[in-house]
Amino acid sequence: MNTPKANKRTWAEPFKIKMVELLRMTTREEREQAIREAGYNTFLTRSRDVYIDLLTDSGTAAMSDRQWSGLMLGDEAYAGSENFYHLEAVVREYYGYEYLVPTHQGRGAENLMSQLLIKPGDHVPGNMYFTTTRLHQELAGGAFVDVIVDDAHDPESSFPFKGNVDINKLHQLVQEVGAKRVPYISLEGNVNMAGGQPFSMANLKELHDYCRKHDIPIMLDATRTIENAWFIREREDGYANKSLRVILREICDLTDGCTMSAKKDALVNIGGFFACNDAELFRKAQNLVVVYEGLHTYGGLAGRDMEAMAQGIREAVAEEHQAARIGQVHYLGEKLDDAGIPIVMPIGSHAIFIDAKRFLPHVDQDDYPAQALAAELYIESGIRSMERGNVSAGRDPKTGKNRRPALELVRLTIPRRVYTQAHMDVVAESVIDVHKRRENIRGLKMVYEPEYLRFFQARFEPIK
Amino acid sequence: MKTIIEPFRIKMVEPIKLTTREQREQLIEAANYNPFLLRAEDVIIDLLTDSGTSAMSADAWGAMMRGDESYAGARSWYRFLETVKDIFGFEQVIPTHQGRAAEHILFGVMVDENSIIPNNTHFDTTRANIEFFGGNAIDLPCSEANDLESEYPFKGNMDIAALEKLVADEGPERIPMIMVTVTNNSGGGQPVSMANIRAISRIARGAGIPFYIDACRFAENAHFIRRREPGYENTAAIDIAREMFSYADGCTMSAKKDAFANIGGFLCTNDAGLAHRERNILILTEGFPTYGGLAGRDLEAIAVGLREVLDEDYLEYRLLSTRYVVEHLHELGIPVVAPAGGHAVYLDARRFLPHIEPLQYPGQSLVVELYIEAGIRSVEIGTVMFGADPHTQEERPARLDLVRLAIPRRVYTQSHMDYVIEGINLVWERRRGIQGMRIVQAPQFLRHFTAKFDWVRENAEPSYRSAVE
Repeated sequence: MNTPKANKRTWAEPFKIKMVELLRMTTREEREQAIREAGYNTFLTRSRDVYIDLLTDSGTAAMSDRQWSGLMLGDEAYAGSENFYHLEAVVREYYGYEYLVPTHQGRGAENLMSQLLIKPGDHVPGNMYFTTTRLHQELAGGAFVDVIVDDAHDPESSFPFKGNVDINKLHQLVQEVGAKRVPYISLEGNVNMAGGQPFSMANLKELHDYCRKHDIPIMLDATRTIENAWFIREREDGYANKSLRVILREICDLTDGCTMSAKKDALVNIGGFFACNDAELFRKAQNLVVVYEGLHTYGGLAGRDMEAMAQGIREAVAEEHQAARIGQVHYLGEKLDDAGIPIVMPIGSHAIFIDAKRFLPHVDQDDYPAQALAAELYIESGIRSMERGNVSAGRDPKTGKNRRPALELVRLTIPRRVYTQAHMDVVAESVIDVHKRRENIRGLKMVYEPEYLRFFQARFEPIK
Repeated sequence: MKTIIEPFRIKMVEPIKLTTREQREQLIEAANYNPFLLRAEDVIIDLLTDSGTSAMSADAWGAMMRGDESYAGARSWYRFLETVKDIFGFEQVIPTHQGRAAEHILFGVMVDENSIIPNNTHFDTTRANIEFFGGNAIDLPCSEANDLESEYPFKGNMDIAALEKLVADEGPERIPMIMVTVTNNSGGGQPVSMANIRAISRIARGAGIPFYIDACRFAENAHFIRRREPGYENTAAIDIAREMFSYADGCTMSAKKDAFANIGGFLCTNDAGLAHRERNILILTEGFPTYGGLAGRDLEAIAVGLREVLDEDYLEYRLLSTRYVVEHLHELGIPVVAPAGGHAVYLDARRFLPHIEPLQYPGQSLVVELYIEAGIRSVEIGTVMFGADPHTQEERPARLDLVRLAIPRRVYTQSHMDYVIEGINLVWERRRGIQGMRIVQAPQFLRHFTAKFDWVRENAEPSYRSAVE
């Protein structure tokens, strides 16, 4: 096993452990049986059978003692809970949006925003799709249009801001359909499907100028915007001495509103929100939220969860927290890269994305190489990862065929503040071991396919 | 013993801030005379709802600490699943962030513009969800339910003859499901008898129509059956509950009521194909099928709460402490729905304020006065909640104009209840000076949550038509 490089110690965690959760060790035979029963879909395995759970960084963070204390301060009144006003003040302070509607999680906010802003026949540009976001847009009658820079689709490009919007692509769309059919542009920070890749402030400013001119609102997917702010400071001229707080506000001030899954940046297990600066849109959102979520002062969340979120946002903008967070992800990424494992570069903030096309070049994309690799990693060492490729991309609604996206990835998502350096070492070793025997790994065939978001519940069998 | 013994002691407290009458007059005006728009800290005794407002037990708090927050297949999910299956007995369980999400998913797959859904009485979110999908929500309460003074033991029952007639007249094709709400919330928190549930089930199965129970307060209903229905005197609440659900094909549940949880709900069915379609929507609007938009710790708390709520001593305390308030109000001559229901005390606003016509919302006036008098927060269940026709937006008086004082579970003591009785009595003594109200602004769905009100001024026309959006 490699000894950690001396300079890697700088990301040492700015916390100590206050509560632990015991893990169960399993044998290879047990895991082979478990993944078979789960239809070779990691989403369908039981968490008790998992050793290191890198399925998602969503809702899986370890809360701090202060957040746990916040849970005890829950004001569970149905209407007008103090925790709501606290959260509203914190969102106003850190994100800067005037109006807040809490939701039980991010997709609740996406559902609200899509229904409020999209009319049938509209086109919604975005810097790459995300599974639930695109589906909400489609169900509201809109069509998603990808306007991310081409570099985002190239896993080997080392462009530092692969999350940028290609303004020319956006302009082309506006020329084609007219600005009136573009209700907003959806802008995601640290673009998940591109490998956790940031946009630059310069790009956002350019986008802002363009959108002002054509009267198109910019709606931010704020899920990992604080992590995006980190990369702006690291990589963009003029930001080296600015705090994450200041950069976050600068980003939000250039946009008109946001949806937020607080289960990522904000270090909570449940929660999200919709926020905006437009009083009329806010009023409509308040009226619609009671249909789906709950009264507008709790939005389907317990009071205690709003309190934990408010505290989580404060902790998320702390420099030392993000240094350790991103430092840990880069530690794992660099280890894999050093061992010659094909991963998406540059390394993002929340996950390492293994390039399954290059890892398993002998498996055709319609035999789902990323799905097969995720299953194999589980069998190897009980690591649970997630497919982000042909299965996740789904079928083209027009042709009915697999979309065969450029990126065929396995995501190793690192939960915040949960796993140690030793855990990361185990992950690296396992991936390297699977890589050594990669030629024996075969593809999968899909034997059950759900209608929406098939990756969650699809079932597979090994190809004989 | 006359004293109602609480089968618990206090382990954690939450301070209450006191306000003066002058402060409350300003606060309720600033909230546009809608108690939903008040800040909770400005309320002394919060009887707005029993939903999500319970005090959890030390066991439930303990279970929260072991919440497994894994996205898929968490241990907490399996503990939740096992408990729900054991008590409710349905094969398919779909967790949701709260009860209305379970309803939204169920009606989303079952209801269209042609649908008629009968219920003993639909609750506000249930009705709104059905109407949202274009369906027609029909209330078929038994005739005793309309007599607010009748001591009939099962005033929550459905009118079986009316149900038979509806099924015969409209045909099963137009009726995607028959629902019954236990206990009947909008009808005064009154229980439904086992005999009635059995009769509904017989009609439903005879016509091939799925039968769903809105199970929010299933344990309270079970205890009423035990106390009032011959043959169940010695049956445990859990067995009564299991029998109730054995007659149904599925249920919706808000765990914020009879599971002591502050958040959570679920949807059950025995139909695997239907569950499959429901999970497809669940993933889109709620979350993955093994967490449904809930933290793992909330699944744990629900699993513990569902066991605790079936404890006989708890249920006895719960029903007796509600009856305590009803009996004291009755003795003072205050018009209150009799007999006492399970979770709330319902004042009859039309008899309390007979000089205010229904379209001037006597219930809303009473709610506002209770707040000003004593800092008590209650809710109108009447013409504000149900008065707007969803299709035409025409304003019509609701069947009843009630004010609900919902009692959170295990939160308030007997001395809090004595304070509430005193506050209501003070308003009762000055009732003749109370004015009606008008709606200044209201949204289309579930308007009572966010509507703005003002006092009716002399000679002013009711303004609801122009105000409704």
